[in-house]
Amino acid sequence: MVLIVNTTLDTGITHVLQDLISDKGIEADIVEAGGMKISHCIGCNYCWLKTPGVCSIKDDYEEILKKIIKADQLWVISDTALGFIDHKGKNIFDRILPIATMYLKFMGDQMRHVPRYGKRTDIGLIVTGDADMDYLKKWTVRCALNFESESLGAYGADEIKEAAACMC
Amino acid sequence: MHVLIINGSPRVKKFSNTDKILAKFTAGLSSKGNTFEQYEVSDRKQWDTIREAWDRNDNILIAIPLYVENIPGLLLEFLATVKPKDGTAKIACILQGGFAEGAQLRCGEEYLGILSRHLGCEYKGTLVKGDNFSIRFFEGDMQDKVTGPYQRMGEVYGEEGSFYGEECRKFTGPEVFPAHIRVLLGIIFKTVGRIMFNKIAKSWGCDKPLNYKPYGT
Repeated sequence: MVLIVNTTLDTGITHVLQDLISDKGIEADIVEAGGMKISHCIGCNYCWLKTPGVCSIKDDYEEILKKIIKADQLWVISDTALGFIDHKGKNIFDRILPIATMYLKFMGDQMRHVPRYGKRTDIGLIVTGDADMDYLKKWTVRCALNFESESLGAYGADEIKEAAACMC
Repeated sequence: MHVLIINGSPRVKKFSNTDKILAKFTAGLSSKGNTFEQYEVSDRKQWDTIREAWDRNDNILIAIPLYVENIPGLLLEFLATVKPKDGTAKIACILQGGFAEGAQLRCGEEYLGILSRHLGCEYKGTLVKGDNFSIRFFEGDMQDKVTGPYQRMGEVYGEEGSFYGEECRKFTGPEVFPAHIRVLLGIIFKTVGRIMFNKIAKSWGCDKPLNYKPYGT
């Protein structure tokens, strides 16, 4: 299942994506999160040590988290700030901690947290403003390590067809 | 010099590892005749005050816990609201994280150079170090053992105004651990490490196994 989380207020972009992928017969679960109540991560560590797998913040993110752990691909559509994704986009990633456990292991030559679930969700990024795209591509690769998955890349809004081509 | 220090942790000051690191760092900074003012991004009530301090300071230090390979969403939200400088101000950063290897923090460090440019500041480098997750669980001498070395780094920054020196570079420690250490740590993670985390969880009132799956498989 392809999960698309749009943190911008522009629903036009998801309509375009929907058209592009429905031509290929792909069903996507699209979450319009731009107007949702989604807090930043407060770093309390409760999801690791007090209520394992459950975030202490009760807001609209829980429904997204439940979808992520079942998705083959997670695409986040984000506006940009300071050369990067903006805080609304970043919060979607920062709040992902409940999918990992407190336990540690080595993956290759670096430490990682032991995943809580069996699904491996690949990560893609679509940004609607100016950003350092070379850096964003690198960041998405690094970010995917937290999902023990692969990066699907980072795309500008003008590359939406290329992004849609990676959805399957 | 006088330094504006912004604690970029979203965790409240009382439990902030970054704050405990800054307590040592600023002791070193002050010992070299420098002054500072420090604010916490975790407290939104301080945001207007920090913006005002941002406008009148040219030596800025941002202390940051790594959140998913970059700066925390809350810090990003705050920094998007400050007025970019005209190129004469200087930014240096302290980047800290839980994983022990320096390599874990490099992606975040790379962004801090990009961020400085977007904020119209000259970038004076980042002090990079991991292995800080345990700070909140330690007290007294045990905590000092982890945070204490930051005092010397405060002295160095106080004298040089940057983190570009060799001593700061070495402060990071190993980029990755040698293979035999990884094997040893891997065994510790599966045994003593799990027991320790289970014990902490119990003391926090946790009544589930730490690998519990609340939303099914």
